[in-house]
Amino acid sequence: MASVPGTRFSEDEKRRDADHISFLKHRRFRWLWIALLLSVVSILGYALIDQEPRPNGGSWYGYTLGTIGLLLIVWLSLLGIRKRRMTEGSWSLKAWTSAHVYLGLSLIVVGTLHTGFQIGWNVHTLAYALMMIVILSGIWGVYAYAALPKELSANRGTMTGGDMLDRIADIDKKLESAAQPLDRGSCDLVLDVLRQDVFYGGALSRLTNSYPGCATKKALAGISASGSDAEARVHELLTSRAEQLAQMRRYLRIKAMLEVWLFIHIPATIALLAALLAHVISVFYYW
Amino acid sequence: MAFLIRTIAVAKSGREIVRDREIGKNELIIGRDPASDIHLPDLTVELQHVKLTDAGQGMIAARALGELPFTVDGESVTEARIDPDAGAQLAVGPALLAVSRDSDAGAAGPVKINIQPAPKDPATGDPEAGFALAKAMPSKRAMAWIGSVAILVLLLSIPVFTHLFRTPVENDPENLEEGAVLFDASWSTGELSMAHHDLEDNCEACHQTAFVSVQDETCLTCHEELDDHAKMDRQLTGMAPVSTGDAIQWDIGQALGKEGPLGCVSCHTEHEGPVKLEASDEQFCSDCHNDMDARLTDVSFGNAGDFGDKHPQFRPKFYDAHFAKEAKRVSLDDNPVEMSGLVFPHDIHVSETGGAARMAMSLSQYGAPLECSDCHEEDNSAPAGFKPVVMEDACEACHSLVSGTAGGAFTSLRHGDVTELMEDLAKVNLGSRSRVVTGRDRPGQYGSGGRYHANFGRPSGSYLAITRALQKGGTCGDCHLRTTTDGRPELVPVNIPDKYLHKGFFNHEAHGEDVAECTDCHAADTSGEATDLLLPDLESCRDCHLGESAVKTEEIVPSSCAMCHGYHTPAAPWRPEDHPKLPGNGPNDNVAAILSSLRR
Repeated sequence: MASVPGTRFSEDEKRRDADHISFLKHRRFRWLWIALLLSVVSILGYALIDQEPRPNGGSWYGYTLGTIGLLLIVWLSLLGIRKRRMTEGSWSLKAWTSAHVYLGLSLIVVGTLHTGFQIGWNVHTLAYALMMIVILSGIWGVYAYAALPKELSANRGTMTGGDMLDRIADIDKKLESAAQPLDRGSCDLVLDVLRQDVFYGGALSRLTNSYPGCATKKALAGISASGSDAEARVHELLTSRAEQLAQMRRYLRIKAMLEVWLFIHIPATIALLAALLAHVISVFYYW
Repeated sequence: MAFLIRTIAVAKSGREIVRDREIGKNELIIGRDPASDIHLPDLTVELQHVKLTDAGQGMIAARALGELPFTVDGESVTEARIDPDAGAQLAVGPALLAVSRDSDAGAAGPVKINIQPAPKDPATGDPEAGFALAKAMPSKRAMAWIGSVAILVLLLSIPVFTHLFRTPVENDPENLEEGAVLFDASWSTGELSMAHHDLEDNCEACHQTAFVSVQDETCLTCHEELDDHAKMDRQLTGMAPVSTGDAIQWDIGQALGKEGPLGCVSCHTEHEGPVKLEASDEQFCSDCHNDMDARLTDVSFGNAGDFGDKHPQFRPKFYDAHFAKEAKRVSLDDNPVEMSGLVFPHDIHVSETGGAARMAMSLSQYGAPLECSDCHEEDNSAPAGFKPVVMEDACEACHSLVSGTAGGAFTSLRHGDVTELMEDLAKVNLGSRSRVVTGRDRPGQYGSGGRYHANFGRPSGSYLAITRALQKGGTCGDCHLRTTTDGRPELVPVNIPDKYLHKGFFNHEAHGEDVAECTDCHAADTSGEATDLLLPDLESCRDCHLGESAVKTEEIVPSSCAMCHGYHTPAAPWRPEDHPKLPGNGPNDNVAAILSSLRR
């Protein structure tokens, strides 16, 4: 039966289709349903099981949720190792990522219930806060990967990043020669423009697209368009440089938003593992 | 003077392109202006930057024309004299100008100026790498290391090491520094209760050994006065079964050295915020007591779950037989008869009319018909809240024991001991026997006042008085019951317990005059016999007191177990107001205490 061509074709077709299904929809949202089930069971247990004297991480139900949470966190953090090794099948990277996202979301429920809503300035709440930071940054990451690449290519048009840099370098060359006749003050303004790194600005500048120290902007304000011919020429060049910079900075902003979550997600995960260790040891050390 | 200008450019291939030109002038301008003698097309160079002049004797003077200086042999100057024979290096903007004498032409040869543009920094790395956010962020790895190491050192290693290597000291709230574990405050899951507030920075006071849970023994170092609720094995049998989950947790916990479900911290959970110690709720007691007979089949007391619905009849402890050595607990349902050994009709005494009332009215110390408090004086330090009734204080004003006069004062019979009474009666007989009047005086030494005088009156006074006094209607028999011990006349011993209720507490103060009259609960006004036990029964308490969940009205007082019973001290319920010195219970409640009570 297996050699019947029709069957073979439909199987291959299924596999080919599967290859192009997002990890979010993997196996008809299998992991979404598992995560939802885990969350609902956790909530029901919390609501229905009598925990004396009050819900707390130290009740048997609290320990159960804590153990589930701990195992989940450790497993979820192994994605970083898993993604560097290629396998396929039911534990393909796509399946793993799908489970990572949905089980990670269910940690919001499991972890929060484990706290018994007892929050304080201590290592235990630190672990919880780090976990929430990791999850929220992860949510942002999923959103960013789904929504931002479109914006990114829309902004870039047909240009590559290298094209943008080339265009600015080109303008800079013209600027340097056009500025030759200018007086000292104007020259200094142009020099500042040329000396400033095109990627000037920190992460916050990139994310907010706000560059208060932009030399091009200052030079534009300092060199009049209605002065000498040289000045007018420089002003014109500065204007097109500013435009090119603006496009590049929009590009940088989208790219930063796309990438920033990992700069939170990864260090916070490692810190979370440390805090988790401190949490577990301290709880039993001072049992 | 002539200048030989040599410009060296480097082609892309790396080959040097050398161009020479000669300028036959004594003055030379170096600047960005294309009209300059030496044109340096760099924006850092002034339009006219430096002027070189022949200073005679083969020397050259250099002077800055604008505000910007230039460099001679590494020194930033605005004026300099240069000896071309010795050679010098000028730096104007990024360009380097080597000044020397053209050696080919000898001492009078032209001054040679080699111009070499500053080497440009070769672009390093991938220029497009700047697009990655990584260029503007600290490295993920560095952040991860710093964060996790900081947590592991500050919040784990330091507390663990300072705990392991400390010198244990005795608990002293005044000195928390010595032997303190550092940074363990970060381990606290919440503030301590208000009573334990002083221990807030002293974790090791309770958490003494690593990985060993808080032990009862540790609690008892301060709370040594507390009794067990019952014997531990009885409690373990009698306690309510725990859920499977709890049972597993206790099994694991106890296997690892945790105190069991009857340990101190099982009920007195800590780190729940600055809460007051409050009395337990009804559920806490009823969990076990609601159906305790199913587990402790030999208990003498009944099940209890709710004062309004499920509470056994009171079983006061008193003497139910004359000569009984021990008081006995008898249910009020079993028509109890108290055998106190006394004769005392309450009704006659509290009646507002009749002999007792008239008598009291005639006496200055009463001046009115008797009231309960004339005999039963409240005293909160006494076991049952009342001083014991003492005959001399409470009864003697009417039931006088005055036996005669001596030296102008009254003499009294002593109360409390039959032997003493007999002695006193004998003295009375000696002193005041009625005189025998025969009309004749006995002679000589036998006469009155003589050596051999004797009282030959009726013997009733001296020999019969004691039996008469003890009999009904006699001095003692009014209140006491006569008996004979070993042939001697005696009284039935008086057996009145200090208190009747041993397993609960009744606060008379809380039931003061504005709440009830004594006779509302104690039927003294209709009790004609001392054998009547005048304690109110369960039903009469329920007129006002119902269980915890009852709706409070003007009449009804919702009453949890803890209103009458204590856990560690059954006869003294724990009430916050009895412990004004505990933080949170006094008048100086702080905001945290008020908030915690609101939260409850």
